[in-house]
Amino acid sequence: MFVVLSPAHPDPMYKQVTDQIKDAIASGDLKPNDRLPSVRELSEALNVSAITIKRAYQDLETGGFVLTRAGLGSYVAPVERDALRERKLAELQEELRRLVRSSAKFGITAGDIVRLTRQVEGD
Amino acid sequence: MDTVLEATDLTKHYEDFSLRGVSLAIRAGSISGIFGPNAAGKSTLLRVLAGQAPAHQGSVQVFGSAYADAEQDLKNRIGYVPQEPVFYPDKTVQWLARFAAPYFARWDGAGFYKLLDEFKVNPLKKVKHLSGGQKTLLSIAMALSHGAELLILDEPTAGLDVVHRRALLDRLRAFVAGGDRTVLAASHITDGLDEIAEEIWFLDDGRVVAHEDKDDLLARWKWVHFKDGALPKAIEEGLVRVKRLPFGSSGLTGDFLNLRGALAGPLASGDVRLDNATLEDVLLSFIKGA
Repeated sequence: MFVVLSPAHPDPMYKQVTDQIKDAIASGDLKPNDRLPSVRELSEALNVSAITIKRAYQDLETGGFVLTRAGLGSYVAPVERDALRERKLAELQEELRRLVRSSAKFGITAGDIVRLTRQVEGD
Repeated sequence: MDTVLEATDLTKHYEDFSLRGVSLAIRAGSISGIFGPNAAGKSTLLRVLAGQAPAHQGSVQVFGSAYADAEQDLKNRIGYVPQEPVFYPDKTVQWLARFAAPYFARWDGAGFYKLLDEFKVNPLKKVKHLSGGQKTLLSIAMALSHGAELLILDEPTAGLDVVHRRALLDRLRAFVAGGDRTVLAASHITDGLDEIAEEIWFLDDGRVVAHEDKDDLLARWKWVHFKDGALPKAIEEGLVRVKRLPFGSSGLTGDFLNLRGALAGPLASGDVRLDNATLEDVLLSFIKGA
């Protein structure tokens, strides 16, 4: 799993951890039932407080990405690809909404954006 | 664009420290920041630039004149605030103002008291009863009250609490707003001066090691986070301040604008991520042995 934190990043540290672990799960880097590092291991490895990692793990658990078994540690939940896909689509919708609105000011239509998307896909 | 201050090849030797060949040019209307570690020579440099100490070699011209040729005129047009302002400890602020006024051609008493009010410094207090931060603010109020067109400040935000620091930074921005007044300040980077400075000078061990427009600097310096093996070797080797972590590595590049193309692929695949660098990050990479 590729987790590197940046103090200069606009997102708070715990969110950087959560987002990057979700990415690792989505890309298959982390598979269902893989054990995540313990809160202490990860906090030492990333040089951040255990409280930050604890918060990240709690968020992941609430979101259904991770299961914590007392005494044993945190494991990647057997989340289906579809569920992850649905979540990502919802996030995308928000971003697209912003994109479409701000581009409209320049006379760019949704059609233009679709065309651009096809182009980018081809790269 | 007018140059208000020009220094050429300044050299000054002390027993255990030297300023070496420092040249700089400061434009009218700008806020320039000189940053660097302790003992880099910032205070010494500012003293020479403000005409408070001579250089052994090299020259300084302010508003087109050397100090030797126009001392009185320059003293009126420049407001110099040293790191630890020295005032008669048993005198009140009010007394100091009356004492200082005749030395300046354009003393603005009303303006001075307004600033004291803004900075919350009680004019009836004796200097020895002021906190370090208040003494700095008093010094700055004085520098701002005699019609100076160029402020030379040594660590102006040191010792100021968050409210006073904000008031000072806002005041400095207002000072240059018309385009005909200039601020040159030396600071440790994290003191907030980096926020308002437009031109950045880095001083280390008596030498200027970098000079750049702040926005240009921040545009080309980035943190590159990468999975091991995800970067082309040439790029990885060019990174500085590299940290190897269990889940990936991070390094700083000053060449982002040229590397953009080569990084596009790894960025798209998620094996490389980018983040903005702070001025402090960049400064640390310039300091020997940081």
